[in-house]
Amino acid sequence: MFDDTTGNKTAADAVSVASAENIEPAAPVHEVQPAKAHSARTGAYDLRAIAIAIAGWILPGFGHALLRMWGRAVTVFLAVGFLVYLGAGMRGNLFAPGGEDAFARLGYAADLGTGSFYFIARNLEPSGADVSHADGDYGTRFLATAGVLNLLAALHAYEAARRRKA
Amino acid sequence: MMAMVPLHLSHFQSLLLFAVIISLAFGTLGRRDPLERLKYAAWSFAMFVLVAIALGWLMYPVSR
Repeated sequence: MFDDTTGNKTAADAVSVASAENIEPAAPVHEVQPAKAHSARTGAYDLRAIAIAIAGWILPGFGHALLRMWGRAVTVFLAVGFLVYLGAGMRGNLFAPGGEDAFARLGYAADLGTGSFYFIARNLEPSGADVSHADGDYGTRFLATAGVLNLLAALHAYEAARRRKA
Repeated sequence: MMAMVPLHLSHFQSLLLFAVIISLAFGTLGRRDPLERLKYAAWSFAMFVLVAIALGWLMYPVSR
């Protein structure tokens, strides 16, 4: 009397379609491999960028030199070098490790930012710091600025190595 | 060990040296185009000097 075959067919079709939709299509092989290669390449870029930043910190301008940014490398080297030379010449305070208060520790961190130039500055100041005059006080700022500028340059080299900045 | 002659600079000489060195570094790191670098360095130098002089005059009444 009542023909319900149409309704049954429709329900069966709906179930088969639904089950087919639940199955996630497998990604093609040619799409999976480039993604893995891309992540591996990104990891290699990160390691390279970190190495470049450390090189730039140890020797001012060297990070940019590794990236063949010669103008920036020379400028950073000369700017940090001049600031260290002037700071030491003005008998600025070059902080040593193990400072008593937070300012001394912060000053040491800033001075250490010059990398290898920190040890050169120690040799340039055989008679030690003299901050009883304005010269020595300015020299302290010059030395700290040299360190912070070098850290900024190392960060710039890191970003350039990661292709985020040029 | 290297030894060096102590430097004695006036306040203004120290300010000018500091401003020149930092401005050149800022210009070189901050811009790519040579003309843009020069403009940015000149702008930074002018700001360093002018703001320092302005702050100096601002503090003058409480300095004595």
